[in-house]
Amino acid sequence: MITTVTLNPALDITMELNQLISNQYNSVKKVSRIPGGKGINISKAITAFGLDTMSLGFLGGHAGHFIAEQLREVGITTNFWHIEEETRTNVIIIEQKQKIHTLLSDPGPRISQRDLDRFMSIFSRVMAQSRIVALSGSVPKDVPDDIYYQLIELAHQKNVQTILDASGIHFEKALEAKPLLAKPDLRASGNRVFNKPVDSQETAIKIAHEIVNRGIQIAIISYQDTKDIIATSDEIWLAETINQQVVNIIGTAEAIIAGFAIKLMEEKKEDMSDIIKFAMACGLASASTDEEEFHTKDDVIRCLPYIKVTKLN
Amino acid sequence: MKIKDIMLKNTTSVLPDCHLGEVIDIMAIQRINGIPIVDEEQKVIGFISQHDIIKELLPNYLGIINSNSFITEFIQLSKKMKEYADYKVEGFMKKNIITINEDDNEVMAADLLIRNKIHHLPVVRNGYLVGIVTMRDLLKAMIEEEENDKQEETQ
Repeated sequence: MITTVTLNPALDITMELNQLISNQYNSVKKVSRIPGGKGINISKAITAFGLDTMSLGFLGGHAGHFIAEQLREVGITTNFWHIEEETRTNVIIIEQKQKIHTLLSDPGPRISQRDLDRFMSIFSRVMAQSRIVALSGSVPKDVPDDIYYQLIELAHQKNVQTILDASGIHFEKALEAKPLLAKPDLRASGNRVFNKPVDSQETAIKIAHEIVNRGIQIAIISYQDTKDIIATSDEIWLAETINQQVVNIIGTAEAIIAGFAIKLMEEKKEDMSDIIKFAMACGLASASTDEEEFHTKDDVIRCLPYIKVTKLN
Repeated sequence: MKIKDIMLKNTTSVLPDCHLGEVIDIMAIQRINGIPIVDEEQKVIGFISQHDIIKELLPNYLGIINSNSFITEFIQLSKKMKEYADYKVEGFMKKNIITINEDDNEVMAADLLIRNKIHHLPVVRNGYLVGIVTMRDLLKAMIEEEENDKQEETQ
């Protein structure tokens, strides 16, 4: 089973209207309420492939119950620790007339030491039935900077393979536990890793090498919407999307992570280039829809011809 | 119908050393009536429901619930609850409990629930907890199946 961790999930409420006018009654044309959070999105993509996945993390209040129910509705097993405070809500306002997107981001709940202890206990137990765990996304306030490091260590003690998709100090500290795969979240870190800018293929390659040199087997750097550098200890690859329009990049990184997790679960290992191609097709399938994740295996298979993987060394 | 397609895919569970007060907190906050007790490997070793807790603290509560003495008994229950809040759940949980495999069917689940007069069946895969099934889940699945059959007939 593939387990995913979302420490800071959110209920994303999107409201679409013609134009938002201040100090006036605004009638909303369309509303959607969707569970959000990187780990949750990875679980959604894995479920689309018909594989078992369990989602862990913190939930609270009505938003928390709504998220858990929505996840179970699509076939994801939930084992969240429920906290006293309400799960955060993000409001996205889309003004159709001028194509303006406004995001109102909730700072989110506080996590107590007791909450953290209970979550760690759940995580440790669930590792017994997991083969891969994906640790993804932002970390709530009050949670220690080395949380992902601690979780990776716990997973490795139970022989579970680990995937890390995070940013900043949480990412850098977690690398010390040597996850199997690491992907810095460049959007969240202002395109910087190890305090260095990642703005070109050359800088992406340098950072990928630096990650691998720290003992990580696979490093992924998504340095453009349609271009990724993938490094292993002895190989480096460029993956590109060709002749295909990207509609929505939100959720793409999670779909790529899901793609790697699915392939790493398989008993018979494919060539690295095929694994990369599949994972990037997952990303493209997500980027080709208005929604955050693709819906079916066929969506991914349709995208395979639009991925070009080139070995650079 | 396979149980894995009917069950509630929630694996909320506690360890046997969890305090009774915390078990009640979890039931209240998660709006559930019972919790599987698992070992460190997430394998099911027991179960506790709110009914089990009340029965343990007030053994004759079913007999007194309609009587005039209920108020005084309720005060007694409240006192006992405070006293027992720090006790470990392992002293109260049902052991040697009945579970069902995720690949078993709804008929077997209904039979186990009715025959054993229980309300929850922990669902397992290789002994690991993967969900919970109740009679309500079975009834819901039966209604949905009937609705699907009707739709197919009209198409």
